[in-house]
Amino acid sequence: MTTVSTELALLIDVGSAWAKAGVIGRVRGRWRLVAHAAQPTAWGEAELRRSLVAQLDAAADSRLAGRHEELLAGANRIECHTAQRPGRLAVVAVSRELSGATARRAAEAAGWQVAEFVTLDDGRTLAERLATLQGAEVEAWLVAGGFDDSRSPRALEAAALVASARLLDGGPVVWAGSALLADEVVARFEDGAASAVANPRPDARREEPGALRDRLQAILRRSVAQEDESHLSPVAFARAIGALAADGGLRVLGIDLGARGAVRVLAEPDGSRAVSVHSSGGLAGAAAVGGAAGRVARMAGDAGDEATVADVLQTLRARPASLPQTPEELAATQAAARLQIAAIVDDGGPGPVDLVVGAGRTIACAPHPAQAARMLLDGVRPIGVTQLAIDAASILGPIGSLSDDEIREGMTLLSDDLLVPLGTSVVSRGGEPGEVAMRVTVHRPGWPTPAPVEVRVGQLQVVPLARGQEAELLIEPAPGVSLGAARRSPRVQARATGGAVGLILDARGVPIGLPKRGDDRRAVLAGWRDALGRELERLP
Amino acid sequence: MSVLHRVRLPLGAITTVEVGRRVEPSDVLATRRPPGGGTSLPVATRLRRPAAATAELVRAAPGSLLDAGDLLASDESGHEVRVPEACLFLGYDADDGTALVAPLGATQPILGHVRGEVTAVDAEAIEIRVAGALVTGVGGSGAAVHGELRMAVGEPGEELRAGAIDVGATGKIVIGGSRASAETLTRARAMGVAGIVLGGVRDKELRDFEATQQRRREVGVRGDFAIVMLEGFGKIGLDAGLYAWLRSHEGRMASLFGERALLYVYDADPPPARRALARVGDRVIAHRRPFAGAGGELVRVLDLPHVSASGVTARSGLVRFEDGRSAIVPLANLEATEGHDGA
Repeated sequence: MTTVSTELALLIDVGSAWAKAGVIGRVRGRWRLVAHAAQPTAWGEAELRRSLVAQLDAAADSRLAGRHEELLAGANRIECHTAQRPGRLAVVAVSRELSGATARRAAEAAGWQVAEFVTLDDGRTLAERLATLQGAEVEAWLVAGGFDDSRSPRALEAAALVASARLLDGGPVVWAGSALLADEVVARFEDGAASAVANPRPDARREEPGALRDRLQAILRRSVAQEDESHLSPVAFARAIGALAADGGLRVLGIDLGARGAVRVLAEPDGSRAVSVHSSGGLAGAAAVGGAAGRVARMAGDAGDEATVADVLQTLRARPASLPQTPEELAATQAAARLQIAAIVDDGGPGPVDLVVGAGRTIACAPHPAQAARMLLDGVRPIGVTQLAIDAASILGPIGSLSDDEIREGMTLLSDDLLVPLGTSVVSRGGEPGEVAMRVTVHRPGWPTPAPVEVRVGQLQVVPLARGQEAELLIEPAPGVSLGAARRSPRVQARATGGAVGLILDARGVPIGLPKRGDDRRAVLAGWRDALGRELERLP
Repeated sequence: MSVLHRVRLPLGAITTVEVGRRVEPSDVLATRRPPGGGTSLPVATRLRRPAAATAELVRAAPGSLLDAGDLLASDESGHEVRVPEACLFLGYDADDGTALVAPLGATQPILGHVRGEVTAVDAEAIEIRVAGALVTGVGGSGAAVHGELRMAVGEPGEELRAGAIDVGATGKIVIGGSRASAETLTRARAMGVAGIVLGGVRDKELRDFEATQQRRREVGVRGDFAIVMLEGFGKIGLDAGLYAWLRSHEGRMASLFGERALLYVYDADPPPARRALARVGDRVIAHRRPFAGAGGELVRVLDLPHVSASGVTARSGLVRFEDGRSAIVPLANLEATEGHDGA
């Protein structure tokens, strides 16, 4: 890493709403995180630097007092940031539920903000659709419709709508519909303006959005984000997660939930990674999700009624840098986070993973580690045995903006401060309500082996397992209960590592089922919160 | 002071103003003939060709505007298909041999809804310099409207009641306080109020009202109406400083853009400015419950981060609110306000 010859390095992650900075320095021969600050981005860098200097003056070697401003000014600066502005896209499709839904998901997963969404079954008149599209201020257009074996006139009409609304040189057009119509559609636009990509809905049963997502990502990079890509937060975060996976030989899922956007990275043990960037997947985006207020109110239990939660969600959109001050607003915010995480994870579920890493202020700076664990567990539902950790100091983004060699070196040097482990979760699926879902024997080396812990379907239990401790697990799932992978033995052996929460035994199923009656639901939610809340540590 | 306002033009619009022209909110800046419902026009049968083979004989490009009698398709032997009326050509269906066209409706005006001087005109937009002040809200609903400002509440935190809307408010932009129920909004619309400016509104009530607006449009009831919230969502009053500024401009002409959450007030002095990072001694306004919309003075910034009731730890300060309360509030939830004495 290039910073070894300097005393300090400054890691900065500038988000759309919050800016985070960390200072790493040599402490007794080892590189450690020596100061960390987070503030609304609008406060400016001078204020961020002032906070860091104040921390260093208070905590660092007294012989350096008064010199920290100068040392920071000369420190290596490693920075990542969100894109200056999101790419705006208009989606025109035949059907809201089929071609439209697939196209929209692929566009958002590629990092586009869908500014206009028009389908031929949206109940609007042709004139209204045209007026909407003619008023669209977008950088690109996506047209979708028709299965590959058909020449759908409706798909041609969708393309014609775009041809009618778009100005000459009004941005690239991508045709993601019936292959039989590709040449005809491309010919409707000026030379070089339109291109065809493999149909993401080749028939009614299949959804294959990969090629469309890749094409849209490439266009986004070319036409909008003309910046040094490696310093863009989604790219940097993905590279860091990839390095974590390769370094540990693990399958790692990284979730960065921001104020406006969200990033999902699934990295394989060889370092390869699948990345989706959801421009409206952050907390602010929850306000635009249909029925979100009702769902958040039900999921939170103690956030107030639906109307109150609706106001909170709109506040998250309108004032993304502000903080929840009351327990009810925090409960609504964290439930909204769970909703948004679930939405981006649903986009092609990850399957069993070894490690889930949560990043972004709402997750990584949750007041209690149990709350961070709950957001990850409820949002991802990582079936099987999974380690959970958070990027509490927002280091992964800046580290990921370095060169490949430097990323590995940086992670090695900062191994103690890189992630805050929350513990290990064992998530099961299936079983009969009220019946035992699994028996788990936790054996810690040097300790007597206790009796197995019985976890009933719908229950959540936490077994203390502190950071740095390891345990051997012997899991006996009941008949009809699954831990994700196929198994030949009635028992599953696994290793668990401890953390700020401990060992979480979660038999709530996938997806989580909640009682319909309000009182019952609130009682169940309070039980889960209490079970998870028996942790000892607070996050740093 | 002056600000720039951009009026985006739809495809095919014909501008009627030039750079340097002074315009009023109700002036027509451009006209357009919006396309109506699509209709199919037989092409292949009239050229006596198979449907698929006719595709290459179509002369118009999809998306082009055609006048009555313009050529749509022709073959080498001189047979032609012309459009019977002005229309937008959407495309040719090679399966059934018809063209989908959308006949153009009656000419409609495009208004700027602002008063000012045209500074730029191109195919995409008209730019207007507005002499006045711009206040940006956090949300809104509805179209662009204009009218005189009229105060309808006596205090910045007072709820706008239906009873406060009378015939004197017709055609005006009404300044409310902390909230307006769906009933109040409905009455305002019925009384011909142009628009309403509020500190906050409950999201559910706004959505309920929007649903009634949508139903009215569906049955053909016209009439523009705009709502803009300046502070937040919920029962949140106007900042006292901003309220005082609005009161001092009562009777001035203003333009309100609902969905864009913009309020232009003409020939006005600057509104109270907002700054993200508050300093000790600043007048501040809080943005999250339980103090959302409350103004006060930042008395002290705490040396160490403070844990709020939610458990969130953040840099915080002691605020003495104008309603007599004192509380420690995260600095991220405060904005400093400058100018115009709201106390």
